[in-house]
Amino acid sequence: MGKFVVIGERIHCISPVIREAMNTMNPEPILKRAEEQLKAGATYLDLNIGPAESNGEELMKWAVTTLQGAFDNVPLALDTANMKAIEAGISVYNRSKGKPIVNSADAGDRIEYIDLAANNDAICVALCSKAGVPADNDERMAYLQEMLERGLTLGMEPEDLWFDPLFLVIKGMQDKQMDVLEFIRMISEQGLNSTGGLSNNSNGMPKHIRPIMDSAMVAMAMMCGLTSAIVNPCDLRLMETIKSCDIIKNETLYADSYLEI
Amino acid sequence: MPFKKPVQKYNASINTVELGVGDKKIVLGGENVLPLYTFDGAIENAPKVGIEISNLGYADQVPGISGFYADCATIADMAKKAASIEAVDFVCLKLDSADPNGNDAPIEDCVATAKAVAEAIDKPLVVAGCKNDEKDAALFTKIADALQGKNVLMFSAKEANYKGIAASAGLAYNQKVGAESAVDINLAKQLNVLITQMGVNAANVVMNTGAAAAGYGFEYVVSTMDRVKAAALGQNDVSLQLPIMTPVGSETWGVKESIASEEDMPAWGSQEKRGIGMEVTTAAAVLASGSNAVILRHPESVAAVAKMIKELI
Amino acid sequence: MALKGIDIFKLTPKTNCKECGNPTCMAFSMKVASGAVEITKCPHLSDEVLAQVNESNAPPMKTIAVKAGDVEFKLGGETVLYRHEKTFVSKTLYAMTLCTDRDDNDARLAESMKVDYDRIGERMYSEFIFVNCGEKKDEFVALAQKAAAANRGVVLNCSDVETMKAAATAIKDAQPILNGANASNYEAMSAVATELGCILGVSGADLDELYDTVTKIEALGNKNLILDVGTASVKAAFEGAVQIRRAALLNKDRTFGYPTIVNVAKLAAGDEAFETALASLFTMKYGSIVVLSDMTYAKSLALHGLRQNVFTDPQKPMKVEPGIYPLNKADADAPCCLTVDFALTYFVVSGELERSGVPCNLLISDAGGYSVLTAWAAGKLSAGTIVKFINEYEIANKINNRTLIIPGKVAVLKGEIQDKLPDWNVVVGPAEAVGLVKFMKDLQA
Repeated sequence: MGKFVVIGERIHCISPVIREAMNTMNPEPILKRAEEQLKAGATYLDLNIGPAESNGEELMKWAVTTLQGAFDNVPLALDTANMKAIEAGISVYNRSKGKPIVNSADAGDRIEYIDLAANNDAICVALCSKAGVPADNDERMAYLQEMLERGLTLGMEPEDLWFDPLFLVIKGMQDKQMDVLEFIRMISEQGLNSTGGLSNNSNGMPKHIRPIMDSAMVAMAMMCGLTSAIVNPCDLRLMETIKSCDIIKNETLYADSYLEI
Repeated sequence: MPFKKPVQKYNASINTVELGVGDKKIVLGGENVLPLYTFDGAIENAPKVGIEISNLGYADQVPGISGFYADCATIADMAKKAASIEAVDFVCLKLDSADPNGNDAPIEDCVATAKAVAEAIDKPLVVAGCKNDEKDAALFTKIADALQGKNVLMFSAKEANYKGIAASAGLAYNQKVGAESAVDINLAKQLNVLITQMGVNAANVVMNTGAAAAGYGFEYVVSTMDRVKAAALGQNDVSLQLPIMTPVGSETWGVKESIASEEDMPAWGSQEKRGIGMEVTTAAAVLASGSNAVILRHPESVAAVAKMIKELI
Repeated sequence: MALKGIDIFKLTPKTNCKECGNPTCMAFSMKVASGAVEITKCPHLSDEVLAQVNESNAPPMKTIAVKAGDVEFKLGGETVLYRHEKTFVSKTLYAMTLCTDRDDNDARLAESMKVDYDRIGERMYSEFIFVNCGEKKDEFVALAQKAAAANRGVVLNCSDVETMKAAATAIKDAQPILNGANASNYEAMSAVATELGCILGVSGADLDELYDTVTKIEALGNKNLILDVGTASVKAAFEGAVQIRRAALLNKDRTFGYPTIVNVAKLAAGDEAFETALASLFTMKYGSIVVLSDMTYAKSLALHGLRQNVFTDPQKPMKVEPGIYPLNKADADAPCCLTVDFALTYFVVSGELERSGVPCNLLISDAGGYSVLTAWAAGKLSAGTIVKFINEYEIANKINNRTLIIPGKVAVLKGEIQDKLPDWNVVVGPAEAVGLVKFMKDLQA
């Protein structure tokens, strides 16, 4: 399946610093976070500009060119509820380091994000849910099939749909965790790619616990065939776990210095 | 029904490394396709053929080698003769006399030899040691200094002695560094990482991932190279995107097939032909597995291997 | 390789008619892939599609059995492009060439047949004779008979159907490979091969023509084929060998799922060293039968050695026979050097001992094909196994000298061996084979 793809989640308008930078189109804070994440080992960077209803197109174009210009056409995931802004971002996007990712579609209101990705030869994150948390894996699979079929009918390659199993918070839904992992295995057995907001599992846990729990989750999910995750790459323990799992899965070649490269 | 050709073209590519200076300088690597697969994409820099000379001379070799150098009085003469072969892209000087368990020639003598050879030829020079880690490290450091501006390859640094060689040849004197591992892909990668972590630009490093004569555990040589190229191109593993140079002649001319006399093995026929057979077979096989350069000993082998490369690229 | 749900989905009508009992074609396809539902539940799939699904479960490259005198070999059947991925199953076989237009066929045949020996338990020789029909067509039958009498496999190379038929019929018991089908004669040539139960060799001006011809021959019902990559140029032949193998294994294109034949004798046109280089190249990259001008020790020692390495199973170590190997004309008075039966160890150690020039008896003990340290760790090289070996092979009766040199890496065994073999002088040798030359010379001095 290839090396695990880490999508760095830290350029997100929920952060006051980033929100302020986006409001004023000040590149410094955004570039700083991008650099930290890339140094830590991120492959893709998620670029969440929030709802951005008024100036979304302009803002997304600016952010894409700013980031790609500063970091050798770093591949990006474009993340906003404003579809026009995503299209605007793709119009200025350089694909030399990887296709853009549209983040994200689901089987409900956001199903047209698949059409958007198909029309723009992009990868699409496809959340296997419609409204709220699916009851079981049969329901998840039905959504997956619906979205897969839509994508293929529109001419997408199956590997360009990255299915999100919807990671659930352990504090509250501990008994559902194995279902999520089992669903990742089902995705993987079909030869399909997967991703998702993995650290959601440790939401609400003490700060020092989260890296430990996230690392355990990523290891188990990678065993089940997870091919990517949207995470904080500056979490050293998590990144070390991912690199180690890639070694065990024979996706990267071992050398004593593997953690440093 | 037309045939749908499979294509294996990669976004990743092998680094280019330049050896030598002036008109005759050569470039190793640069391809983004599997070895010799020109039908997947152009290979701009064809694999190169080097010829090996030893500072112990070749008087005891088969007639095709000893005879070729018969009129050479000095190692510089040998180098000039070797470089005069049109198909030869570079010359590899092997400092066998330095071996502490053999002649134990002093370092100053070897430096003088290397200088004389470098002066005698206009083709790129590769300097190989005597396989004694400590002596080689000392030798390479001095020679790298003495040959500044010639852009020579110090062949090679190993896990045991890379620090001094990388610091001198790679950093202080701006030469090229060889990174040698013995058919161990993890060590090959690790050594590249260590050398580049010292600050040596990866574009100044050439790998030797290990050599053996065909029939002598050669499957390990093949699989190591196959896996290096798969990681470099398929997984975009930058620490393995270095061109590979393989010393072939020094391996094949030491095995029984090449050294058994016709007296001892009358059924086997000409010793010289057997030696050439071993040398070209091994060279063609390492080129098929991913060597970007081979080092040979017999002029006839050089001709045959260069012809094969020319026909393929 | 079984089809994935998506691959099956692509074959369905995609109408979501629900006649199969599933809500969508995608849901149906996923269930078929997981084995929960039979593909035949969909009433809208043509026989062609069903056949395609069935065939996708067949191996991508056919295994073709071929007779070579008294022996039978297998060609093709490979599942991987690189030996480290699994293992290569059918080794490259070599042929020497006879030609109707040459007058030295008898002598050359006799010389080539002399190359016949054992290398680590494997018979090394020219497994095939390639009989080429040149200008003198009327001599083809007689030459084919000469080849068949040599008890090797025969490849008849001729594109004239009548000439081929006469020769093939004359030696039909030898089951020759009929290398002669092309775009213009394939129907008649295939009929001859089918009638005589022979493998048919197919060639084409380029890969497209070859592909087209194979498709047509398969349509005639003949799938007992070998593909000739041609002799237009080295470059074209190399591309052919690689593309045919990749098409079968990467693209699962079964039209090219056949073994190949490469005539390097013709490509090299008399340049012997160049011919050897090309034979090596096509041994590495996907030639099933490599045709040489003749077989000499100069070619065989190198090419067969290469082949033995490349086609060895990565999971199984190569072993040499345990026993006494006298080196440098050693007699019963020469000292004994003991090591393990791992082939690589044997080669390296015997090579260094030979380089020393000192007569010695190399003792190879049964260590399960492991290297010294691995064998020691696995309990296959211990004082006990060494003593057992010395007794079983009656070393003490066969050799008078009582010096026993053991590998330096198992120096720890010295005391125990010495206790169990009090008549012997147990000496610890160097830890690495490179040290043997000096060690043996010092020992002799």
